Amino acid sequence: MTILTFEQFTELLQLLPVQRAVFAILIASVAMPIVGVFIVGLNIMSVRFAMMHVALLGIAIGLLLGLDPTLCGLVLCALAGAATAPLAGRPAGLSGPHGFLMTMAIAAALFVLSLSGVNANGAFELLWGSILATRNSDVVMIAVISLLVLGLYVWQRRSLGLLLFDREIALCSGVNVERLTLILLVVIALAVAASVRLTGALLVDSITLLPALGARNLGTSLSSCVRWAIVLAVVGNLLGFVLTLFFNQPPGPMLVLTVGGLTLLTYLKHRSP
Amino acid sequence: MSLQLVNVSCWHGKMCVVSEVSFHIAAGEHVALVGGNGSGKSTLMRSILGLHRAYHGQILLHGKADVPRADLHDRFRSIAYMPQRQTTGHFPLLVRELLASSRQLAASQLAAERLNVWQLAARPLHTLSGGQLQRVFLARAIGMLAGEAKLLLADEPTAALDFGGQAEIAQVLADLPVATLVITHDRAVMSRCDRVFEMAGGCLREV
Repeated sequence: MTILTFEQFTELLQLLPVQRAVFAILIASVAMPIVGVFIVGLNIMSVRFAMMHVALLGIAIGLLLGLDPTLCGLVLCALAGAATAPLAGRPAGLSGPHGFLMTMAIAAALFVLSLSGVNANGAFELLWGSILATRNSDVVMIAVISLLVLGLYVWQRRSLGLLLFDREIALCSGVNVERLTLILLVVIALAVAASVRLTGALLVDSITLLPALGARNLGTSLSSCVRWAIVLAVVGNLLGFVLTLFFNQPPGPMLVLTVGGLTLLTYLKHRSP
Repeated sequence: MSLQLVNVSCWHGKMCVVSEVSFHIAAGEHVALVGGNGSGKSTLMRSILGLHRAYHGQILLHGKADVPRADLHDRFRSIAYMPQRQTTGHFPLLVRELLASSRQLAASQLAAERLNVWQLAARPLHTLSGGQLQRVFLARAIGMLAGEAKLLLADEPTAALDFGGQAEIAQVLADLPVATLVITHDRAVMSRCDRVFEMAGGCLREV
């Protein structure tokens, strides 16, 4: 393992792709942990896997039709999020529909790729993003979706708090639960799909779920959970990125391990609900 | 606001749990609903509220007919509800935030002070005892009644309280100047109501 000197490290920081990566990490670490808090609050961890596979189907359709694959993935994820919203109120929850969606999406994606004659590895590479390979268009996409997430949180903070606390209490308080759930699931789907492009399919949790899980152990309300999630995401991901550069290792695993380590520490102060 | 039910039957799948129930509660009238476990009381109350939609018949609030599903949130705002299951939720929520959900925080705060739970305002709900939770939910309901809500539905509002607390809350409920339907097994609450309905096997009779 190569360890950089401080001078080499500062030289790396002068590079445009590295600066762009730091910028992308900062933007994503402020907004995406809020999505993680929504996912934890709604108890729909399965949504990540479902949306990753739906994104792959969108990419396959994009490649088949000659359209922007990332955009197709985002649109299809938004539609899939909206399609599952009517099922959110069922006692069984959304894990079943998400499992169904995941299986059908991957099967359909492979079928579409086979039809189009496109090499499947090419499609999978689009999902296997890397923070160091971030393009300007990725930064713009993550910034737009981050604004959407922050806007939703600021606009509907009270209603979201009630919905995450208890669906029926939210209903009885006059919250339009069905509309809010629909918006929430679409935003979650878009955010997961965009994060996949940034950090890679399997590492999306470093900016969404892991900080939220840690925040759930530390927070006493939606607002405090969101604050903790952002702190954990910013500190963990920036620290992970610095370690990535210093030790010349792949960024994805390093980010996840760093944020995961911080999350693990929060369990020392776990307060059972 | 008055409440009228005309031949209301409620279903769980193919099983009829409430059969052809009709009654009228005038504005300001207090009615207790009693009956054994599984007699259909909570299902009937949830149907009135709009949480249980598998029913036939008419539920009229102040003479206004049943609303379509899309407009249900307006109905929720016109009814203050104390659920039987005093939920501690899936996610942390502060007492103050629950009280604010009444949309009348000042009135809820006043009620919470009277019910001796306002000092818990900064605590998450999951750290409260069952009795404290019930008082907080009642304070929230009283706050809602200070706003748009003009009907109180309470499902066993004193079940988690000690004897002194039961009498205190029964009096608070009795003093409310709105139509009230309260499911209870508590004599202190029952004795302060204008009328008592009993449910057995899904059927209703006045006692």
